[in-house]
Amino acid sequence: MSSSRPLDVRPSLADAQPTFLEPLVRSKRVIVCAGAGGVGKTTTAAALGLASALAGRRTLVLTIDPARRLAEAMGIPEASRAPAPVPREKLTMLGVPVHGELDAWMLSPEVVFETMVRRLAGDEARVQAILANRLYQHLSKIVAGMQEYTAAEALYSLSTEGKYDLVVLDTPPSRNALAFLEAPRKLSMFLDERVIGVFLPAGGGQKKGAFVRAASDLAERVFTKAFGEGFYKDLQDFLGAFSGMFGGMRAHAEAVRRLLSSDEAAFVLVTSPEPAALAEAGFFQEKITQLGLPFEGYVLNRSWAYTRGFGGPEEIVLPPAAEEHQRVALRKLGQLADGERWRAQRDRDLLARLRMDAARHSLGAAARGDGGGAAIATPHLGGAVEDLAGLAELARNLVHLDNA
Amino acid sequence: MKSLLPLRAVLVTGKGGVGKTTVAASLARFAAQCGKRVLVAEIADEDATTSALADALGVAKITDEPWEIAPNLRVVALAPALGHQRFLRDVLPMKVLADAAMRAGAIRRFLAAAPTFPEMGVLYRLLDLVRTKRRDGAVEHEMIIVDLPATGHALALAQIPASLLRVIPSGPIAAAVREGLELLQDPVRTGAVVVTLPETLPVSEALELVQGIEQHSIPLAQVFLNRVPFDPFSDEERVFVRSLLDGERPPMLGARTLERIDRARVALERLSQAVSVPVGVLQDVWLEGPRLAEEMASLMAVEEVHQ
Repeated sequence: MSSSRPLDVRPSLADAQPTFLEPLVRSKRVIVCAGAGGVGKTTTAAALGLASALAGRRTLVLTIDPARRLAEAMGIPEASRAPAPVPREKLTMLGVPVHGELDAWMLSPEVVFETMVRRLAGDEARVQAILANRLYQHLSKIVAGMQEYTAAEALYSLSTEGKYDLVVLDTPPSRNALAFLEAPRKLSMFLDERVIGVFLPAGGGQKKGAFVRAASDLAERVFTKAFGEGFYKDLQDFLGAFSGMFGGMRAHAEAVRRLLSSDEAAFVLVTSPEPAALAEAGFFQEKITQLGLPFEGYVLNRSWAYTRGFGGPEEIVLPPAAEEHQRVALRKLGQLADGERWRAQRDRDLLARLRMDAARHSLGAAARGDGGGAAIATPHLGGAVEDLAGLAELARNLVHLDNA
Repeated sequence: MKSLLPLRAVLVTGKGGVGKTTVAASLARFAAQCGKRVLVAEIADEDATTSALADALGVAKITDEPWEIAPNLRVVALAPALGHQRFLRDVLPMKVLADAAMRAGAIRRFLAAAPTFPEMGVLYRLLDLVRTKRRDGAVEHEMIIVDLPATGHALALAQIPASLLRVIPSGPIAAAVREGLELLQDPVRTGAVVVTLPETLPVSEALELVQGIEQHSIPLAQVFLNRVPFDPFSDEERVFVRSLLDGERPPMLGARTLERIDRARVALERLSQAVSVPVGVLQDVWLEGPRLAEEMASLMAVEEVHQ
């Protein structure tokens, strides 16, 4: 998006006030962006990451959405095995200070899983046994479900290894993002020894009670019959190889949960004015508050609320000699303008409602005592943010916008 | 849209927020009005307290068993657990054993929590519903429309059968998976419908999705461009309005809408050139909830008459 185009409205600095996002990008260790699909969540996450880098912090933007948008916007290679930095010269061009950094990574379940195995398995023989298991190879390559398991794991290790001051997480569309929140719980459910024990072969120092033995026999009969003997053996090998690691994985799951519940984390809900997106955001806000996670506020995206400095077509006076089609065209433009006025009013009302809601439910807002709430609007950037310059503009608007 | 009518399974997919669910609901209403016995399905989600499909159809809830919400129109949630149960019943020698297995806490929890097992359950449930016959031997649901989850997950779902076959090459599961895969890849019975918005990035993503679908050998049947804004301008009017707005002046109300209209025109052209299937244009309708799907269904019917 070139800044020479008249539609890119940047508020003058005199008007600009820090938004609720400004302290977040300066102080938090984790920011989770959630919301319905198609509301600009990935872009918002990337812009928040850039805002943090502009504030001089070492930042990572992590996306678990399989869509490949982040890489495109940030100009980094897709499908990399590790976080990739946005090139230094680009950052310098955008005004990021020398100690500010911005990396991005599209989470790869395979890589995260393997890293986890290497850390927890201990000896190399065991690592190789696990990596060679057919079932492991199947699971680690499957995207459905695995993203949620691995997102929690990656978020934790990347935000605690000390390389980054802030990790911004872009979650998949709402329903799956919920799975991400539930992943640690679900993981420990799957990894429960009582479940696993049923599938493990007897012996090897493990004693099974009569009840477990009965369940084991049933499981073996059912799985052997349904999946074939080879698979059941693979499953046992897989679970056997993993069994020593479950304690470590569960401990991690709990640590992720603690980090996400702490005041070092912040949950930001991204929404558009669409009724469906708003409903999802409301649903999400309830869920986050219910889980005791630090909800901070809303970003209202794709909003038409910002109209300061806009003129109207009625100011245009056509010369008396203007042709009929020109008058018709101007009248039609006037109708489009009326539509935008209506949308702007609708979105301003909406913004007020979101602010009230955020003030009521946000822990941060309550602690700071800023009863004004935390929802902000970004100007309706025509189309999409397609390059780093556009992202930088969005980043500035997000943390410094006079709230229409 | 008529080309969709002979299909047994219509898989509606697209990026989040493009109106997939509304399109699935509209297609279902349209096909039911055309006289098809239609079942419209979503993937069950035990954690969700709301259902987008229920909202779009104006029904209170969607259950694991199909129920009729209008003449010729039924709705169902594809529940993984039911798929597991049906599968075990099909492959195990005794029903009792299958039911005992599903009652065993450990097995149930394993199937619900272990990655890819829920997706397999969904696929088997779909297969089960496609096969369901009425007493007279005719199929119960002539057309099953599935509202699939967002892009990545739809592809992931499609990826599972082939991947699973590598792990479990033989036995009853493999046979069931093969049958599922055959259904998914049969252009006579199955068609994927990709929904997208008339903007640059969503069109790029839709084209990626189309590629992914083709890679998995799932036949693509139709692409819908949803929420296309009404364009009031003739060509000469457009040129004039552009000349008014392009000069050096403060931003003007109306210009953003005009840009949106322009982007929609480009999007339609780009999409039409890139895909080999029909591109359906769905106008931006300012309605919400069940009235939106009803209105869109009647617009689809009108379009049929015009073609």
